[in-house]
Amino acid sequence: MRYFARRLVHALVLLGALSFVSFLLLEAAPGDYFDEMRLNPEISDQTIARLRASYGLDRPLLVRYERWLRSTMHGQMGYSVAYNEPVWPILRVRARNTLVLAGTATALAWLAAIPFGILSAVKHDSLGDRIGGFVVSAVLAVPELVICLAMLVLALRTGWFPVGGMESAKIAGSSFWSRLGDTGYHLVLPALGLALITFPVMLRHVRSAMIESLESPFLRVARAHGIPRMRLLFRYALPAAANPLISLFSFSIGTMLSSSLLVEVVLSWPGLGPLLVESTLSRDLYVVVGGVMLSSMFVIGGSLLADLALFASDPRIRVRG
Amino acid sequence: MRVVYLRGLINLVAAAVLSSMFAAGAHAEDLLVTDNSPGHRGGRLVMALRSEPKTLNPVLAADETSRNLLECLTADLIHINRRTQKTESALAKSWSVSADGRRYTVHLRHGIRFSDGAPFDADDVVFTFQVYLDEKIDSPQRDLLVIGGKPIAVKKVDSYTVSFDLAQPYAAAERLFDGLPMLPRHLLQKQYQEGDFSSAWSLSTPQTELAGLGPFRMKEYVPGDHVLLERNPYYWKQDRNGVRLPYLDQIEFLFVSSEDAQLVRFLSGDTDILNRFGPDDFALLEKQAVAKGYHAYDLGPGLEYNFLFFNLNDLSSKDSPGLAMKQAWFHDVRFRQAVSGAIDRGAIVGLVYNGRATPLWGPVTPGNKLWFDPQIISSTKSLDRSRELLRSAGFSWRSDGTLVDSKGQEVEFSILTSSSNAQRLQTATIIQEDLRQLGMNVHVVSLQFGAVVDRLLKTHDYEACIMGLVSGDADPTPDMNVWLSSGATHLWHPNQSHPATAWESQIDALMQKQLVTLGYAERKRLYDRVQEIVAENLPIICLVSPDILVAARDQVRNFEPAILDPYTIWNIEQLYIQ
Amino acid sequence: MRYRNKLGAAVLFLMLIHGLALFAGFFAPYNFAEQTRDRPFAPPTRLHFVDDQGRTHLVPFVYDAADMSDSSLHAPVTRSLRPIQFLVRGTPYKIAGVFSANVHLFGVQEPARIFLFGTDALGRDQFSRFLYGAQISLMAGSLAAGLSVALGGALGAVAGFYGGHIDECVTRMTELFLAAPWLYLLLGVRAALPLHVPEWQSFVLLVGVLGLIGWARPARLVRGIVLSVKERQFVLAARGFGASDAHLLCRHVLPETYGVILTQFSILVPQYVLAEVTLTFFGVGVGEPVPSWGSLLSVLQQYSVLVSYWWMFIPAIFLVPIFFAYFQISDALQEHFQSVPL
Repeated sequence: MRYFARRLVHALVLLGALSFVSFLLLEAAPGDYFDEMRLNPEISDQTIARLRASYGLDRPLLVRYERWLRSTMHGQMGYSVAYNEPVWPILRVRARNTLVLAGTATALAWLAAIPFGILSAVKHDSLGDRIGGFVVSAVLAVPELVICLAMLVLALRTGWFPVGGMESAKIAGSSFWSRLGDTGYHLVLPALGLALITFPVMLRHVRSAMIESLESPFLRVARAHGIPRMRLLFRYALPAAANPLISLFSFSIGTMLSSSLLVEVVLSWPGLGPLLVESTLSRDLYVVVGGVMLSSMFVIGGSLLADLALFASDPRIRVRG
Repeated sequence: MRVVYLRGLINLVAAAVLSSMFAAGAHAEDLLVTDNSPGHRGGRLVMALRSEPKTLNPVLAADETSRNLLECLTADLIHINRRTQKTESALAKSWSVSADGRRYTVHLRHGIRFSDGAPFDADDVVFTFQVYLDEKIDSPQRDLLVIGGKPIAVKKVDSYTVSFDLAQPYAAAERLFDGLPMLPRHLLQKQYQEGDFSSAWSLSTPQTELAGLGPFRMKEYVPGDHVLLERNPYYWKQDRNGVRLPYLDQIEFLFVSSEDAQLVRFLSGDTDILNRFGPDDFALLEKQAVAKGYHAYDLGPGLEYNFLFFNLNDLSSKDSPGLAMKQAWFHDVRFRQAVSGAIDRGAIVGLVYNGRATPLWGPVTPGNKLWFDPQIISSTKSLDRSRELLRSAGFSWRSDGTLVDSKGQEVEFSILTSSSNAQRLQTATIIQEDLRQLGMNVHVVSLQFGAVVDRLLKTHDYEACIMGLVSGDADPTPDMNVWLSSGATHLWHPNQSHPATAWESQIDALMQKQLVTLGYAERKRLYDRVQEIVAENLPIICLVSPDILVAARDQVRNFEPAILDPYTIWNIEQLYIQ
Repeated sequence: MRYRNKLGAAVLFLMLIHGLALFAGFFAPYNFAEQTRDRPFAPPTRLHFVDDQGRTHLVPFVYDAADMSDSSLHAPVTRSLRPIQFLVRGTPYKIAGVFSANVHLFGVQEPARIFLFGTDALGRDQFSRFLYGAQISLMAGSLAAGLSVALGGALGAVAGFYGGHIDECVTRMTELFLAAPWLYLLLGVRAALPLHVPEWQSFVLLVGVLGLIGWARPARLVRGIVLSVKERQFVLAARGFGASDAHLLCRHVLPETYGVILTQFSILVPQYVLAEVTLTFFGVGVGEPVPSWGSLLSVLQQYSVLVSYWWMFIPAIFLVPIFFAYFQISDALQEHFQSVPL
């Protein structure tokens, strides 16, 4: 338990370091939010200079960082230059939506990757495995954006799913369950798209880990003992393969989040994606830092979870700690 | 008996008098009668926006989406009709100009009310301008209202009359009022006096604190998803038949950040209007138009002009010998003319824009009805003429075709462009190939937009650049800072303390003169001369202007798209659904 | 060993592709920058064996420019035959940037054109661009993936093996790395570089950036494996025999990680091919008109192109067997290292 208390402290320190590093990096890039205004002949340089001063963008880095820290303590996380509002309320709603999407897609992807991975590992080198490998290569070769557009076109042609958004137009006053159902209905396409994007890599890893596990000596001995196939697979091979898979899970959160950005933009899911893309390109400083902090909190949380699971599942680590 | 009758009679008379007073009061509204084809009320219009609006505060809104949204929620004193490109009366019923052109007296409509029912009068106007001109608020619109170095003086004459005093006569003064929405004093004055105006009217402000004079008012905002507007029952326009505008019950703006997703959703019937799409999609849209029940419109060139220009900054204080050597070429007008002559504008129009663009030889496009100068010579590509010009400037060719200058240096330079604009990147590639035929070795450098602006306006570390500007208005005045040598957006050599060349000082004089000249014919003559000087000296080599492309479902009636922003919804109060 | 066949086939295939890339100038009929401006988005040129008169030719031929879909306009006009010629002299090119040549494998006489994969928006031959694009993408992709797994593997192994502070340090670094917005550093670095970066420098920059993007994940995975392996019997035994740390690492611990490393490598190469497009957007990467597979595929990101011009998909289709070959190699190598007895 001391181990995890230590990890928590480390996580906080990490977040702090991350915030400072983000500030440094943002400083490195040329330009700022008012670039577009500078190309507008109707706005004078003095106005732009005054605007920058009013948002505190002309202050030195450390002063700005300190003000941001203070603002974060108050739960505001700085001020958005574009929205003229504190950052946290803007992020909060959208972060929740992104979590819903990413969570559903993760579940879908793993639910598909584990059985297919095990299957292809067991039937390793057969025709089915080869074909499967080819299909996976095909899906991997298709750019993410094209997969998202394909989902969009699918919705358009078949009309089975709504094309974008999180709720239908007239749903506002209905009951909780019908609203939940409506959200779920809108969730299908984006979650499917996201799962499709992240699924090939997971499949490859599950397959690779299972193959390794199946070839290991202790398993061969167990097989020689006559232990039935199914039991062999699930009770012996799978837990042994768990180690890399758990590490992978903590990573899949990171990739899931970055791919979800794209899915949200194309399929108009009201998550962090469109907001962060716009803020990144327009250099809305504190929204970007806020977004970075938020996504790293998810990643660090996932990593913590993975370490916990690793600790619990692999006794070899527990002994040595 | 008679007493009773008398009292009843008195009551009746009193009632009659009172009701006629009320009736008079009700008809005391000075409604504007529009001349569109009459429609009927009802229906909801759905449209997609490419980015989310950032604020509902008209004084602070700088991005296009917020301004488009505010167009539906607010109204100005004098409005520019997007179709005719001329001014017409809006909240101001009439106005008069003093003989010296320095005083505008505006007469407001009587009986107009805000969307929450509060009355609108001259106090609101005075308050509005006070806010716009306040230096502590830093409104992007403030600079427009500073004329001759002094801000406009706004005075209330009576409840429905306001006077505006300018430091010098200003030709485009009327047009200034367009896009300056009137603010409700009763809702915002308190916050303004407390110094908290910057946080007023953000997107999370509750509806009870919002009010405007536009055809619609806010109903619902779901972050990341959509904005819903509903009819403003107090709107001050009606059609010929006396039906109060707007016709539509509601408008829904969806946030769809991907252009392709917008296209797909329009095709599937989710949205009713497609506002400005790319030239690559036009062929696709046209093909399915009849089957799916909509129309795709190519409105011709808008006010955007794309151009190539060279770095003509004075870099003697900086230490970059490479750039200095190249500037020797850039400064020679024959070099620039040779480059201009070698560019295949037809190929740019045909390949990059699929034919949906117009070649340009000057910054004013044919879409600008009042100010376009057809006299500017539009020459076709001629490599021979370019070679002649280069030869006369001291350039020559090696045996392998490479161009060298009089000192024997190979002619090699880079064209900078922003990576977020795919069309400009393709244009650069075409020009690269064109100039290769002259023996020039051209590189295309595509950087992120912020990095481009930084190099152009701050470090001046670039060689050539392809950029596009959109004039703020058809009138030449908003673009002053591009043509004045002291201007900050005089892209090729900004912020000069005094004009670097003779022709630049000529342009300065002409632009200053047209600013204060009041007659249109004389102003046109002056501005034509500016365009001619630009075409002779080529500080910018104009390339193309993309056409404005929009689409709308057939059910949307009175749809009259125009080439001025906001293109499709400028007459939103006249649109109705069949 | 059955993996030998798999390995052999895949390696042969990849060598073929790399050979094609190296001699792209020879195999491609046109230069990658050559624009045929009157034929934007032209579909692939149809090869005919039987001509209008019904005669069969051994060598396939193409028709002149008139061989477009408007054959209804001039029905009986005889179209001129342009047989495909082999080993023709054409536009000069360079092999490996050093040797000049001007012989192309095949071509047709002007004004006919042979566009095997069709053309793009500016009328440039997609087949030629695909071959030249392989030079950038394959090599940058492989080198960068190699860099990532090497760096990540090394750091992860060290972290897992030594544990303690080093482990903490490396782990925190990976987390920081994954989360921080390095994009801006990229923009900053690009701003500091001169306006036009010479080709080989931008290539090295591309490889470096791509490689540095992806080291974190292999590091974590390798660390996980090393953590559990270092306690295994055979390692303890070897240590008991007095083996040094380095020996333990290289000879005993690392081989256990090869499976994961190879899988990662085979996954990273395709990812990097596509990541290059995003980098180009931010100014790092090859500039116009030099093609790369990433830039060829980026055209597909428009709905109108996807729907109207199917031939732009062909490069994506060719990527599939290439990625599949990488997978086969990683599988085979994984088996090889598994088969090493205890």
